[in-house]
Amino acid sequence: MNAIDVTGLTKDFAAGAPGARVRALDGVTLRVREGEIVGLLGPNGSGKSTLLKLILGLLAPTAGSCRLWGADPREPATRAAVGYLPEAPAFPPALTGFEVVRLQARLSGMSGAGLNERVGRALADVGLAAAMHQRAGGYSLGMGRRLGLAQALVHDPRLLILDEPASGLDPAGEAAVGALLQESRARSRTILLSSHLPGQAAGCCDRVVLLHRGRLVLEGTVADLARRGGRRALMVEALPAALVEDLRTWLRERGARLVDVAPPAAALERTYREAVAAATTPGGGGP
Amino acid sequence: MSPLVRSTRQAALIGGSLLRECRRQRLPALMVVGAAAFTGGAWLLRDFNFGTSELKFLLDAGLGAQALFGAILAIVVPAQQFFAAVEGRTAQLVLARPVGREAFIAGHLGGALVLLMGFCALLTLLLAAMLWWRETGLMHAYPEAFAHGRRVPYAGLAWAALGQWLRLSVLAALTLFVASYARSGVFATLAGFGALAACQLQHVAREHFGALASASARTGAWLLGALVPDLHRFDLADQITAGGAPPAGAVAGLAAYAAIWLAVLGTLAACCFWHRDL
Repeated sequence: MNAIDVTGLTKDFAAGAPGARVRALDGVTLRVREGEIVGLLGPNGSGKSTLLKLILGLLAPTAGSCRLWGADPREPATRAAVGYLPEAPAFPPALTGFEVVRLQARLSGMSGAGLNERVGRALADVGLAAAMHQRAGGYSLGMGRRLGLAQALVHDPRLLILDEPASGLDPAGEAAVGALLQESRARSRTILLSSHLPGQAAGCCDRVVLLHRGRLVLEGTVADLARRGGRRALMVEALPAALVEDLRTWLRERGARLVDVAPPAAALERTYREAVAAATTPGGGGP
Repeated sequence: MSPLVRSTRQAALIGGSLLRECRRQRLPALMVVGAAAFTGGAWLLRDFNFGTSELKFLLDAGLGAQALFGAILAIVVPAQQFFAAVEGRTAQLVLARPVGREAFIAGHLGGALVLLMGFCALLTLLLAAMLWWRETGLMHAYPEAFAHGRRVPYAGLAWAALGQWLRLSVLAALTLFVASYARSGVFATLAGFGALAACQLQHVAREHFGALASASARTGAWLLGALVPDLHRFDLADQITAGGAPPAGAVAGLAAYAAIWLAVLGTLAACCFWHRDL
């Protein structure tokens, strides 16, 4: 059975003028199998968050249907095994991080002696052990994202729906999200995650789906989509500018074409991570 | 666990979280301090008693403060908390869990009712303490006037507080119903104050139209009474200052009347919220 079964899903919202409607999602059909990790890609405003909210029953569809394990997501019991991280998670500002996650766990039906330990472990897993008794209203953007992840994972859900999970996180936070996704893969969790950055999804998804202006325009495995047009990415460190033209000529002579020479973002990110790790290691003086 | 038990437990959790939020916010504390200051301050103004006895003046002032500040609390807290959850997106986190929208509404209503109960209880205790202290002073100064014992009906004061709480509870439910379909917290708050005026004064219109000979006017009066809760019905202060506690049957009827309106308004709010996009 599919974990998520979306058929011809359409969602219209009221626009500014009376009677005017704007179509956010237009006839989207999507299946996510149990245990699969699917990336929902698309630029801002393409309808990714709307689709996720429809899947969760937070929005009612204008047309089409959505099923979670064959059941209506607007029925509360259907959502018992779902963990959700919204794009911009918000928490009651006067509650502490611990209270927020505990409340969410209890709303999912968790109780008993091990509850507090489980909540503490979920917070520690996302790096909030030291800040768990601070009020959520005082959390930074990145801490809020981590808290959102903790509450999404605390009840060990079968299906995780993550809206831009790495948005607003520093490289260490992104790495933590990556580790959590890998751990979720090991536990055979089904994951549907949205991102407007293809690179984020490429590393962890079995399959990606591209939404544009509310329509599903592309779908396939990461490898299939990356091979489209016969493109490969080659990362070269310390490439002198003078060599770029030689490389272009060399490739042209062999029937290939150098499409782009971009700053090495991934290399910069790695350098950044190494510098942070060196600075935080006892005795490490940094770069 | 049955769905009803699960929903009740979830509503209690949501209500408890709302109360924790309120405990750390300024408005509820401000209303309690304001009402307490008004109640305590009445003693300083006892010379301006408009010809009534000093103790009756203090009693009226205390119950009046409770009604005024309690109404602000009953309108602003449900509207503010509901929109903080919906517009602040905390509702998304809660409703992505196996939580029904009716449990969400019940939690918000229940939290507001417990808050108002605490408010009424605290203010009534303060008022009773002040009346006791002042009455004791007057008993020493004018023992002949208190030859038959204390004159303040303290048991009746508890009934008045109960009536006040029931009245504020219906008002909170009415505001939550408006908030469930309103698009802004300001609208819900202003509509709540409008509803307070309409519900408090509807008996005047009902009595006026009900006394007319025209059948349509009498039907209109009946409809008004059926469609709009009569908050004036909960004012027990006149009965207790007249010297006695209201009959138990009347209080039970009042509680049933409040319970029916709470159920109706809560159900309407849940229905509206069910169709709302988050």
